[in-house]
Amino acid sequence: MSEFKSGFFVGGESCNGRVLVVDDEPDIRKVVRMTLQKAGYDVLEAENGGKAIEVINSGENRLLLDVIVCDIRMPKVNGIEAIAYFRQNYPRVPLIVLTGFPDTDMATSLLRQGVVDYLVKPVEGENLKASVARAMEQRELAHL
Amino acid sequence: MTTFSPTISHPRTETEGTRQGPTPPPMRVAIIGAGRGGTALLDALHQIDTIEVVGITDKNSSAPGLRRARELTVPIYEQVSDLIKSQQPNLVMDVTGDSAMESALQEQVSSDTDIVNGQTSRLLWLLIQHETTLQTELLQAEKLAGIGSFAAGIAHDINNPLQLILGLAENLAEETDLDAVHLQARDIIEAVKRTTAICRDLTSYSRRTSLRQDGLISVNAKLDEALKIARYAVALQDIEIRKYYQPDVVALGNPDQLLHVFVNLITNAVQAMEHQGVLTLETATIDGETRIRVSDTGSGIPPELLNRIFDPFFTTKPPGKGTGLGLYNIKNVIHHMHGTITVESQVERGSTFTLTFPGDTSRREGGSS
Repeated sequence: MSEFKSGFFVGGESCNGRVLVVDDEPDIRKVVRMTLQKAGYDVLEAENGGKAIEVINSGENRLLLDVIVCDIRMPKVNGIEAIAYFRQNYPRVPLIVLTGFPDTDMATSLLRQGVVDYLVKPVEGENLKASVARAMEQRELAHL
Repeated sequence: MTTFSPTISHPRTETEGTRQGPTPPPMRVAIIGAGRGGTALLDALHQIDTIEVVGITDKNSSAPGLRRARELTVPIYEQVSDLIKSQQPNLVMDVTGDSAMESALQEQVSSDTDIVNGQTSRLLWLLIQHETTLQTELLQAEKLAGIGSFAAGIAHDINNPLQLILGLAENLAEETDLDAVHLQARDIIEAVKRTTAICRDLTSYSRRTSLRQDGLISVNAKLDEALKIARYAVALQDIEIRKYYQPDVVALGNPDQLLHVFVNLITNAVQAMEHQGVLTLETATIDGETRIRVSDTGSGIPPELLNRIFDPFFTTKPPGKGTGLGLYNIKNVIHHMHGTITVESQVERGSTFTLTFPGDTSRREGGSS
């Protein structure tokens, strides 16, 4: 009886959603992961826009990715290019920008393109979690 | 004790093909007096293409202008009469302030030689000092204007460590595992150190340069320092950087000003590549001369603009993006260092800026005598 139960719940441990963190700084990915994992999210990482596109196009991520948290200034494929790709190919996946540079013009333009939030580092854990939670709501609405 | 050095005229072309029509023979100028005034005149006149300083003299064999003359390979004479007799200058500039010299000169020079002395030469010296101050101010103004473009880079480099510090500190507030606490505290310390390095780099870069700080500069180290600074102005992540450094390449001049020259050339190169391409930095000592090359694989400069790029206020950047003083200031700094700058460029292929400096003349002379 107990064996059957444990088998039934494998992988079902309170996963609030799957978040892809795109940032070239491993330190940033580490702390964002730390914060979001504590809040019950499953966290994937990519070190630039190109890698992020690979991640979202691989296997079940195509369907199961809920939110993308993306930096702007990155090597190879930068945040702007990656965001344009995501908006085009995965319009239902909400995007949050987490950048080191507060740029009003860029923020306005990205929010117009449908980015859910434009966060400037350093952002407190609570604010990041609240932003991801808002994005999750959008994601759920999009599924309806 | 009299040193006769052959006059090696340094090529002073700014750009290939900027000179038009036949050039008249240079005015031959002799300088009497190698104190502060004589040194300033020598420095200024030596930078002018149409003037040849044919010799300098001073009673005091340790006068600063004589040392400068050695660096510039300008002939030094012990006797005024020797200088005038052997060089037949068109113009004699007497900055000794000595009235006896005035009458002695009148007797020695031929009728087609002009003499500048007394208050007139003092006025010239003051004008030169004034121009030097203006150039320093202009350089500083352009440098500070350029620092505005560092904002994105600085924000990136400060806010990233801050995000790490904040995230770790939030975590530490709840962390119970002592090993994890120690590890994260160390990460925080490292992140703080990285942030302070940014402030250190930038304060030293932005400080006002003093003209009297000339010395021997290690060119390779200065280029590396410039790369560190340029990162704030332009994104280097996607630029392939190739360095071909010969060891121990040196130049004589002001280290802060040369750093500014390198930062400017690297920034221009990266901007020309629109953040993707190959940046090549080369240094070498060739026949005792120092040669530095900064090349890019960017958009290149159209031939019709090539002879205007060193002009003040010439810019192809949109309003607010460039002062048009970058290359003008670079040219001034390089001339002050008695060097030359040339550019070769091909549209859509890239540009190469070549800087040549006299190198370490003191060491060279010491080796040969």
